[in-house]
Order: sequence, then C-alpha cells, then structure tokens
Amino acid sequence: MTEKTNSGGTSPANVSAKWNVPTGRRTDEWSEALVLVGDSQDRAAFTRFFRHFAPLIKAFALSGSSLSAAHADELVQEVMLKVWQKAGGFNPEKAAASTWVYTIARNCRTDMFRRLQKFDTPLASDDFELESEEEESFVVLHTRRGSERVRELMGDLPPDQAQILGKVYMEGKSHSEAAAELDLPLGTVKSRVRLAIQKLQALMEA
Amino acid sequence: MLRIKKDMVHHHPPTDILTEHASGVLSVAQSACVAAHLSYCQRCRHTTERLEDIGGAQLERLDPVAVGESVLDRVLARLEDPEPLRYARSEASDTRLPGLLDRLINGDYADLVWKRVTQSLSISYLKTGDALHEFALYRIAEGGRIPEHTHGGSEMTLVLQGGFADESGEYHPGDFVIREGWDKHTPVALEGEECICLAVLDAPLRFTRLRHRWLNPLLKLRAG
Repeated sequence: MTEKTNSGGTSPANVSAKWNVPTGRRTDEWSEALVLVGDSQDRAAFTRFFRHFAPLIKAFALSGSSLSAAHADELVQEVMLKVWQKAGGFNPEKAAASTWVYTIARNCRTDMFRRLQKFDTPLASDDFELESEEEESFVVLHTRRGSERVRELMGDLPPDQAQILGKVYMEGKSHSEAAAELDLPLGTVKSRVRLAIQKLQALMEA
Repeated sequence: MLRIKKDMVHHHPPTDILTEHASGVLSVAQSACVAAHLSYCQRCRHTTERLEDIGGAQLERLDPVAVGESVLDRVLARLEDPEPLRYARSEASDTRLPGLLDRLINGDYADLVWKRVTQSLSISYLKTGDALHEFALYRIAEGGRIPEHTHGGSEMTLVLQGGFADESGEYHPGDFVIREGWDKHTPVALEGEECICLAVLDAPLRFTRLRHRWLNPLLKLRAG
C-alpha cells in the first residue's frame, strides 16, 4: 500500500497556512475576515464583516415584505451570532463568504417564519445541513471556480430571469407564489428559472 | 458520513426542486426528503452548492438597508453566550441514515409504530409539523408488491434500504423519485432485503384495482 503523502499537519507550511493552497487564486476580504473570526475569535474582523453584511441581511429580510423592521433587526442579530459561532467551520476553498452567509440567513429566516406562524416542528433548518466530509482537493478547486463563475454570470442574465431568481431566492417565494404575484402562468415561471439555471450550468461546466 | 458508492445513485431530484430547496422555499417535509437525498449524492450536493451561490450573488447585489449601531452593540454583547445545544447522533444510531432522518426516527425502525396496510406493506408516519405533507416510511417485504395506485398530487420517494422496481425503472438506496398527478404505478420490492422508503405526499395514494379499493379510507393523508 502506498503511504498517503498529503496527510496534512506534518509539514510546518501546512500548519501555518491552513487555507493557502498555492493556486494563485485570490482570497477576498470577507473570506479572510471569516477565517480570522473562526481561527482567533477576532472581534475587529467580525465588526468589519458585520458592517458590510448586516445591511444586506436586513435588505434580504425586508425583501419579501413579510417581516417588520423590528423582525428584520432581530434576524440580523440571529444571523450575525450564527456567523460568529459557525465561522470555524467556514472553508473559503469551498464556498464564497456571501454564499455561506446567504445559507445562514436563509435558514434563520425560515426558522423565524415558522416561529411567527407558531409552526410546531421538531426540525430546525440547521438539521438539514449535511455532516461535514473531507472532499478531495480537485473537487474543492472545481467548486470554488464554479462559485466565481456563478457570481460573474449573475449580472448578465436577462431582466425577466433575474427578476424571477430574486423572487425565489431573496423574497423566499415558491415557483407558484412567484407566478401568482407576477401574474404569469406557473409554466412560464418554471421555464424562466430553468433557463437561467441552464445558462449558469453551461458556464460552470465550460 | 454515509459510505455509499457514488455510482449507486442513479435517480435525482429535478433541478427546479433542487432550486426550491437551495432557496429555502420547499415545505419542511419536502425539504427533509431532498436533504436526505443529498446525504447520499455528491453530484446533487455540488449542484446545490452552485444553486446556493445564486443566493450569495443575489445577496451581494441587494441595496443595503441601514442597520442601527445598537444592533451591532447587542450582537457584540451576546458573543460570549453559550451556543445552543446541537443534536448529536447516539452511539446506537444507524449511521447509514441521513442525520435528520436519524433524528426523526430516533432509534431503530423496529421501535416505530407500523401500521399494516397489506400483507407486504406497512407504513409508519413521522411528525414533521408540515401541515400540507405526509412524511412516512414505507416498509415492503422483500419481493412484496404495493397494489397499483395513483396519487392526486405529488409524491417524493427516497429509497433508504433494499430497493424496488416499477414500470419506469429500478431504485436503490439514495435514489429519489418524484411522481405527479395520476400516473399509475405498481412498485415491487427487490428480492434479498426488506425495502424501506421515505415517502412525502401532498395527497393520499389511491389503490386503483377493485379488490384493493376498500383499503383507500385507511390511507387518508396524515400531514403534520
């Protein structure tokens, strides 16, 4: 049996630069801030992160126009506390900081809706997260590139497709709710979502 | 983590279902079924990550809404609060099961309350709180047949153990099938092992053959 050479932690370079895989790819400011929060509970980095993302999370909370301003502030608090608690599990090779925050905000909003509607469920949104797993580095690399492409492409979508994605992702509307609000047949909504995603997929695989 | 060979999963949720899952708009029961499929399927996990990137990109593009300094102060004051307890698997739990199902089942299949519908089919209803969807485990004896039936709505099925075949294919652990409306089908469990499936329904199944129709009232939808 061949010995695994990349067992991690044996070379000092690996220890000091946990995430600096030498690929020459940029690491953005917000990923770095999250890593500082995760590794050393850096309050200054957390405060920078808060000042950037809290207003976006508040906009997200208000975009479905179903939460009051007070609930939107409460959501901001819940999301940012989770950011602090979960930053240690953030892997900048795997996800963009904005995507990572989005998933936390999405889960907190779902839980808040359920609380406000006195919806009794034994499941919290966090239970839907998968247990972490070791992924091979080529998969991770592929993942990160795909993520950057998605972000680049978002700006190029035709307005009708971008509008539907906004309804679904930011306002938290199901396809049928979006259809009712935009006064469009459900089939049209589904096909716009599908077209947008096909475009994104084609680019991701290119 | 599940150690299921990747190539064993052949049947996946359609992209629009994965999109609704990634954007958090599926009901709790349907979302749980999709999440359970993801725990078996690396391909759909990667697709979901890309679909979540759409959410991240959209978040970045929103017009920021000012947040008062007091909100930051309140968060900073709470950073040292103890973290909420998280569910951990018990030693005895079946590690082949996705974590959230493990939590709902909370023990062994044998400890659940099973309602016998036919000689080879038993059903156990699990509580998710979802007012519109029934979330149930179907247990089919090896080689057993579920009488021909249709659905008035949608049915998501995820194979957890064993397997079954119907008019359109053969399904093994991790495989996900969604059926809508009035397609008729007659699943038969594969030989060799009892088949256990998770089924999420928004309308009760209805047996179509005269000799099984008397069972239909037993299958009234049990959402919640």
